[in-house]
Amino acid sequence: MTTRGDIVLDARHLSRTFTARREKGFFKKKYGQRAVDDVSVTLRAGEVLAIVGESGSGKSVLARMLARIVPPTSGELWLNESQIDLSARRGIDYARHVQLVLQDPFAAINPVRGIRHTLERPLLIHGANKGDVVERSRDVLASVSLTPPDDYLERYPHELSGGQLQRVNIARGLAVNPSVLLADEPISMLDVSVRLGVLNLLRELCDTHLLAMMYITHDIASARYIADETAVMYAGQVVERARGTAIMDAPVHPYTQLLINSVPNPDHLARRDSGASEAKASGFNLDGCRFSPRCPQAMDICHGNQPPEFDLGGGHTSRCWLSATDEQRTAVSIATR
Amino acid sequence: MSLTDANLVLHVSNFSVDYGYADEAIRAVTDVSFSLGRSRVLGVAGESGSGKSTLVYGLTRLLRAPGVITAGDVRLRLSGAREGEIIDLLAATEDDLRAIRWSEISIVMQSALNALNPLHKIGKEFDEVLRVHDGRLSKSQRRQRAEELLALVGLQPDRLQRYPHELSGGQRQRVMIALALALRPQLVIMDEPTTALDVVTQREIVSELHELRERLGFALIFITHDLSLLVELADEIMVMYAGRIVERAPALDLYRAPRHPYTLGLMESFPPLSGERVAMTGIPGSPPNLKTPPAGCPFHPRCAYAHDRCRNEMPPLNDIEDGGRSVACWLHDPASPVEVPVSLSRRGDTTPGGVK
Repeated sequence: MTTRGDIVLDARHLSRTFTARREKGFFKKKYGQRAVDDVSVTLRAGEVLAIVGESGSGKSVLARMLARIVPPTSGELWLNESQIDLSARRGIDYARHVQLVLQDPFAAINPVRGIRHTLERPLLIHGANKGDVVERSRDVLASVSLTPPDDYLERYPHELSGGQLQRVNIARGLAVNPSVLLADEPISMLDVSVRLGVLNLLRELCDTHLLAMMYITHDIASARYIADETAVMYAGQVVERARGTAIMDAPVHPYTQLLINSVPNPDHLARRDSGASEAKASGFNLDGCRFSPRCPQAMDICHGNQPPEFDLGGGHTSRCWLSATDEQRTAVSIATR
Repeated sequence: MSLTDANLVLHVSNFSVDYGYADEAIRAVTDVSFSLGRSRVLGVAGESGSGKSTLVYGLTRLLRAPGVITAGDVRLRLSGAREGEIIDLLAATEDDLRAIRWSEISIVMQSALNALNPLHKIGKEFDEVLRVHDGRLSKSQRRQRAEELLALVGLQPDRLQRYPHELSGGQRQRVMIALALALRPQLVIMDEPTTALDVVTQREIVSELHELRERLGFALIFITHDLSLLVELADEIMVMYAGRIVERAPALDLYRAPRHPYTLGLMESFPPLSGERVAMTGIPGSPPNLKTPPAGCPFHPRCAYAHDRCRNEMPPLNDIEDGGRSVACWLHDPASPVEVPVSLSRRGDTTPGGVK
């Protein structure tokens, strides 16, 4: 029996490199594009881990690695304290434990089959009895507040609104009773007025079923609303993580600070022209801190040395040289001299 | 019709748009009236399907079949060489429209990647519009003007040699804004220009828009579903629901003291970035299907304060509180049997956001 807080899925030092081809020049050279670079995350029963990042930060690739749709280039994956053999094919058993819910329900659900088919299919694939399937479909529809379930089973996707269809999408993920739910931007395609309903549903499901949930978003305010722990990703790395609302209330990493200052907030109109937004994108620095070319507080050490994750206490870490002690910085500059 | 005030750029009255014909018609925009002052920013907020994009496509006569303008009157005051002239946009011929498009009204669409020709370098887009609308410019003059325009939005002149796919999303959207400003229009319309961008880029573009508007003095209609973004940018905000304006007010007044239950619900749908974490409910139900709109007020099935009148009669958009703002809600009718809740009345005006 799992209890709240138990580690369900543990990803250690996951990396993924995609091979790209350099277009310019006489010799077309292949080079590696590190989409996710040494990311470790822990999903716990009954808890929501939010991954916040802009497009291209690697957050979706991370989710696909956890679902084993994209194989990691390196790293380890532990499910319920046993290590997964990443060189083997993903078996059906792994999929039963770890389910992925995608962003756009209109694209994720077969438009020519009824809702009944959508919900029964995973159950049949995972070997449920034909007789139990209908009952189970009704149960999961009820658990995502689509009641009475019989009203929905015979309908087609185009007959439902975006919010209802995303609930069906979540219900499909829950049908096989997984222990891990990976939700990749589950609310960004929905109408503003129904987003909160779906967020509340995810939180409730996490609490009642003791699901270990990963919630991927670009909206840091929604992460603050739902998450037990939040990790901010930038250019394939986790730059800051903390439990509760610490990241939003007292951000330490300059990128997190920039992100939070950029959110439209009419209560703080005065902050609009604060210097942080002046940073302009000019590529990533692969040798040093990935954020250093845009960072308003970048120092010499940042350009040539990648900062490790510094522990700030209470589970709050920041991948930034500003959080290092003087001794730590000196040690690095001596080593590289 | 009225456009008598010389400070007004655009005046719209009783504007309606249908999709489809006769019995099949779906009413996408119903009875919208507003006017826009010189150099003012009007924000239009609403969810998908609220009619906000249809409204501006209709106004600018860009609406494609099966969209039909069924009623209304739209007047635009011209500037520049035709200063003082007033044109009836709905009666204008294609030739009239071609003469004013881009030079008087320009539009920035949501997806810059779809709006730019992937086979043309950025420079060609600028060159084309400048050449077609002003034949007197020489090639080098056009190039110089294009570089000025790029500088205006903070891009290097070498971007003219690039193809759209070589630019980031934010850079492409900046190119679109520079293009829209190429002929110094007095009215710019932006349809969700920052929705596809991440917040940091959105922030940069919004502060650039602020500066540009102050320098160039164009009027702006800015469409988005993000109410808090509008509060920062707009002078006045119109909230649309199911094709109608449900509330209109100066931006800060709307934010600090909404009067329509839908506006309040919309604001409470965005979790805050500070303060205690509390459970929020958003708005129950989902937006109406315009094929079968509910009788009476279209918001009543989702409204906590709905009473009998709301279920049967459509509330008109009435001025309240000495003009300045208006709301379409029976709660604010003197004969309303339901008392106006504190959060939607003057008594609630000190929250949120502090003292007015």
